[in-house]
Amino acid sequence: MTAAPRHGSTLTGTAQLLRLVLRRDRVRMVIWVVAVVSLVALSAASVVGLYDTAESLASYANLVRDNAAMIVQSGPGHGLDDPTVGAVLINEMSIWSVIAVALMSIFMVTRHTRTEEETGRSELVRAAPVGRHAAATAAMTGVLIANVAMAVGVTISLIVFDLPVAGSIAFGGALIGAGMMFASVALVAGQVASSARAANGSAAAVLGVAFALRAAGDVGDGRLSWLSPIGWAQAVRAYADERWWVLLLPVVASIGLIVTADSLTSRRDLGAGLIAQRPGPAHAGPRLSSAVGLAARLHRGSIIGWSTGLAAVGFFYGVVAVEAESLLTDNPEMADFFAQLGEGTLTDAFVATAALMLGLVASGYTVSAVLRLRGEETDGRVESVLSAPVARRTWMGGHLLVALVGSVLVIGAGGLAMGLGFALASGDAGELLRVLGATVTMVPAMLVLGGLAAALFGVLPRWALVAWAGLAVAAVVGLLAELIGLPNWMRDISPFTHLPALPAAPFEVLPLVMLTAVAAALAAIGLAGLQRRDLT
Amino acid sequence: MSQAISISNLVKTFGSTRALDGLDLEVSTGEVHGFLGPNGAGKTVTIRILLGLLRADSGHAVLLDGDPWVDAVELHRRLAYVPGDVNLWPNLSGGEVIDLLSRLRGGVDAARRDELIERLVLDPRKKCRTYSKGNRQKVALVAALSSHVELLVLDEPTSGLDPLMESVFQEFILEAKAEGRTVLLSSHILAEVEKLCDRVTIIRQGRTVQRGTLAELRHLTRTSITAGTERPVEGLDTLAGVHDVGVDDGHVSFDVDGAELDGAVRHLTQFGIRSLVSQPPTLEELFLRHYGDDVVVGDDDAVDAP
Ligand SMILES: Nc1ncnc2c1ncn2[C@@H]1O[C@H](COP(=O)(O)OP(=O)(O)OP(=O)(O)O)[C@@H](O)[C@H]1O
Ligand SMILES: [Mg+2]
Repeated sequence: MTAAPRHGSTLTGTAQLLRLVLRRDRVRMVIWVVAVVSLVALSAASVVGLYDTAESLASYANLVRDNAAMIVQSGPGHGLDDPTVGAVLINEMSIWSVIAVALMSIFMVTRHTRTEEETGRSELVRAAPVGRHAAATAAMTGVLIANVAMAVGVTISLIVFDLPVAGSIAFGGALIGAGMMFASVALVAGQVASSARAANGSAAAVLGVAFALRAAGDVGDGRLSWLSPIGWAQAVRAYADERWWVLLLPVVASIGLIVTADSLTSRRDLGAGLIAQRPGPAHAGPRLSSAVGLAARLHRGSIIGWSTGLAAVGFFYGVVAVEAESLLTDNPEMADFFAQLGEGTLTDAFVATAALMLGLVASGYTVSAVLRLRGEETDGRVESVLSAPVARRTWMGGHLLVALVGSVLVIGAGGLAMGLGFALASGDAGELLRVLGATVTMVPAMLVLGGLAAALFGVLPRWALVAWAGLAVAAVVGLLAELIGLPNWMRDISPFTHLPALPAAPFEVLPLVMLTAVAAALAAIGLAGLQRRDLT
Repeated sequence: MSQAISISNLVKTFGSTRALDGLDLEVSTGEVHGFLGPNGAGKTVTIRILLGLLRADSGHAVLLDGDPWVDAVELHRRLAYVPGDVNLWPNLSGGEVIDLLSRLRGGVDAARRDELIERLVLDPRKKCRTYSKGNRQKVALVAALSSHVELLVLDEPTSGLDPLMESVFQEFILEAKAEGRTVLLSSHILAEVEKLCDRVTIIRQGRTVQRGTLAELRHLTRTSITAGTERPVEGLDTLAGVHDVGVDDGHVSFDVDGAELDGAVRHLTQFGIRSLVSQPPTLEELFLRHYGDDVVVGDDDAVDAP
């Protein structure tokens, strides 16, 4: 018997691990790809139908081109000087499709790297004859496959709607580039952070910064956009005189990040982050003495993280909101457009949209906070609490209560920062409360999504993750309903549809009460379901 | 109240898996009861039903005179539990978890807690994510043992402890017993069971196959006998309960069921015993017999203690 080569490939076993990745993610991947491709197809169908004349294209371009608020939400609007259907479509949908592909890639990488370490499964794998780089390579290859599948689907559906082939391919390439870029960010985050949750959080924070950089750049002279991977995806200029070389930027940057992640790997131990664990207290503080106290402690970190993120986004929107007004005067077409929308100024309309965005993002906290219940159950920690004299409803109620308070804090932080940004930029302190009010109004709708998660957890625990689909639907309705022309009954599915669009629309109490009641009913269903079922 | 736990004919299915299939278990107040069985026999499922985490499909389970499902909260004031897989909150320190779990149960006995931490050599300042398996188990043990409850439910509590800590654990259990507490101890460590348990219940595939004191169980298994006799032994293999007879010039060796030992030895005396060596079954043999595939179901209740 000869000894195995001392320098066996560090990639040994990658193929098998890749198969495992694809096996575990086949359902998730298909859902992401199908969802994004169909939304792109719906957008294309709708844009192609709506903008079939030169006049309609020109009036769209007029409406959007010089409006800072619109540019922040969508992008630099390449090609709108001489607008084509393709340019309009890219302006409408590139931003959210890039964000979707980035989120998919981040979650997928973390799931197959950091989470595997956290659960101890990667020990089993590493102990097998598997190279040091195999797990990360398999994860990245899996993400690449998902990204390519999504890009091919997107490109084909764009070509099907008669959009130019070159631009369709360029946009598909931009999506792959953005996806792999954020996959690499997540790979590095997984090395630095001390937990999978923190890895996802910091990669998402990078996504947020990328969004802000490109927004600031697009509104300004465009230079800052070159620092943002989202900016790169748009700088490819699909359907507007494609700049193919820009596709190289994410490739180079991803390779750089992957090399960084690799050098960090050798500097830390399996399961640990680069940021070392400090010892904790030997005794519990006075607040850690009940199920609710424990829940508060467990949620604390994520409440702080989400609040910080929301505050940053909110502040940014607040500062930009002031710009929205300034454009009104020299663009009569846009004034008409917003006059049609209803009463209120352009700024109000922008604030209402920004509040909705914050509400949707903050719902991510609400859903994840409620789903922590399921994590406590599947990770086997609930046994310790429930084998003490703690009733199931006390345990679940404690987590729901903390999720409720956390939701108010998270959206409140976003609203406060937005109000502050607005007040600072406009010099009118009185605006702060109005803006804060508009965002906090989102709470009942957020709670409905949280209630959905609670009901699923109580009654159909294995399907608890479906609560994220509720948020996805709300986001599609909230952001794309106009674009893809959703019928009203479908818009009504989203709780956010029923909220008064403060401050652009008048305040109404009834929908808030109704939504809160729905949320309470869903939570009650969840509590009743938990009372009846096995805990596993 | 003389029975701390009384389970009869308990059935629990998960889809097509019959995890418990008519299980019986009786634990008297004040005893240390060993709960044994091969992997997947249903020990943890039984314990989780007793804790009200799972609901049984049918059968009766009475815990401290209450219903484990309906009266869960009240009952849990009077018991403490150490799970087989101890999972703790990764970002809490061990000390925090111990205090939290004790407070949930009604309060911390600080002196007792500190004593236990010292005797188990546990560093309570470490974050739970950094504890080794044995240390996680120590955290759960300290939390359970520092409360003054009447029933301890322990599911393989020592599977991660080193031999030194294992003996500390045994001291704890003997102390608890001396204080009159009841202990249900699921374990694969036979020496531990032998040292601590008054009675044991052995289950297999969700059913009780044996219960009684260790002495009674021993009685049920075979003793190996080697004897030298003046005259060659005859007719031994016709006796009930005698197996594997081997004769070899003046010596005879055989195995005999505990219940038939008396008859077999009487038979030998007819041939003039010169020497006699009897080997009681080791605990391992005893368990292997019950864990293996050759168990005759129907052995049930053969030595049911009164
Ligand atoms: N939640 C569940 N879903 C499906 N099957 C389960 C579940 N929990 C336990 N089982 C099954 O019930 C049977 C009994 O499992 P249990 O965990 O009680 O075994 P055990 O006696 O504790 O074994 P071990 O000595 O390995 O701890 C096993 O076949 C197991 O697969
Ligand atoms: Mg078990």
